[in-house]
Amino acid sequence: MAKSNIAAVILTGLLMPAVAMGAIGNIRLDDKIASMRKAGVGPVIFPHGKHEKIYKCGECHPKIFKDKHGANDSSMKYNMEGRFCGSPNCHNSMKAFPLDRCANCHTNVRAAK
Amino acid sequence: MKASSKGSFLKVAFSVSLLGFVGFAVTGYVGTAASAAAAPAAKEAATKKEAPKLDPKDPGSVIYLDTSGKPAGVGDPNRPPSFAYTKGHGWHPQALTGSNLPKDKFGLIDWARSVRENRIAPKPSLDPNDDEMPPLKMDVLIPTKSDFVDDVIYPHEMHTFWLKCEVCHPNIFIPQKGANNMTMVDITNGKFCGRCHNKIAFPLADCKRCHVSPKNASK
Repeated sequence: MAKSNIAAVILTGLLMPAVAMGAIGNIRLDDKIASMRKAGVGPVIFPHGKHEKIYKCGECHPKIFKDKHGANDSSMKYNMEGRFCGSPNCHNSMKAFPLDRCANCHTNVRAAK
Repeated sequence: MKASSKGSFLKVAFSVSLLGFVGFAVTGYVGTAASAAAAPAAKEAATKKEAPKLDPKDPGSVIYLDTSGKPAGVGDPNRPPSFAYTKGHGWHPQALTGSNLPKDKFGLIDWARSVRENRIAPKPSLDPNDDEMPPLKMDVLIPTKSDFVDDVIYPHEMHTFWLKCEVCHPNIFIPQKGANNMTMVDITNGKFCGRCHNKIAFPLADCKRCHVSPKNASK
């Protein structure tokens, strides 16, 4: 009985941070929407959950992305230069799909004309 | 049976070494001929290992294989070359591996740099009567549609080094400033620059090779 109680405590202790940190889900990135529209793409829906499964929080936060809404001035310009999503071990490398896969991140991708 | 085959093999090895001796003598490297004759065992091993097929009618011929020994060019043609390379496809032709040509960040040969550094001097045409036009020295600034991404400076010079005007104009690009409504989306879908880049020319994922001119209007 006591044994199972201890197990329960350990389990909740293990799960608590996961619940607290891991319920972020998708993040919509659209503060540069005017520029995006001109380029023929829609806002980015960043799947935080997908990345949580592969990486630990500390691999991106706070070095690559400050963990605060609106604190990261990310743009394709910076991604190309090896910052944010385009960091050298991420979407600017062979480990993840390359930056020219517009529709993998941007919604409403439409060809002009 | 075994002994006789071994004997014939030795004969072959001897004749090969003799050939080597004659070859060396003809080319003037007499000094190395002694070592060539002294190492028939090495020659034997070499003849055993290699035996590359050179018959152009044989699909297993070395001229059709990439450096990993697989038939070259059987990957997905819709995928960028960088993908094929990461999936374990090797170089084709095999002679390129040892060529020591400059490579880009994907490990693919940087042909433009090879030209700029005078590492290669390709013939203008297979047809000797074909007249070669000098490269057109004309850079075109292509402003990006985005407010942030660096503008593109398109070098006619490097492109006309390889290609004739008719290859691109007027079918792929209308030769008039602002007449081509290009977007990265179209290009990644195989239009405009994407007709060649991501296929035979360097991959589109190498953003900074084209997007080189920073926008001053925005930060």
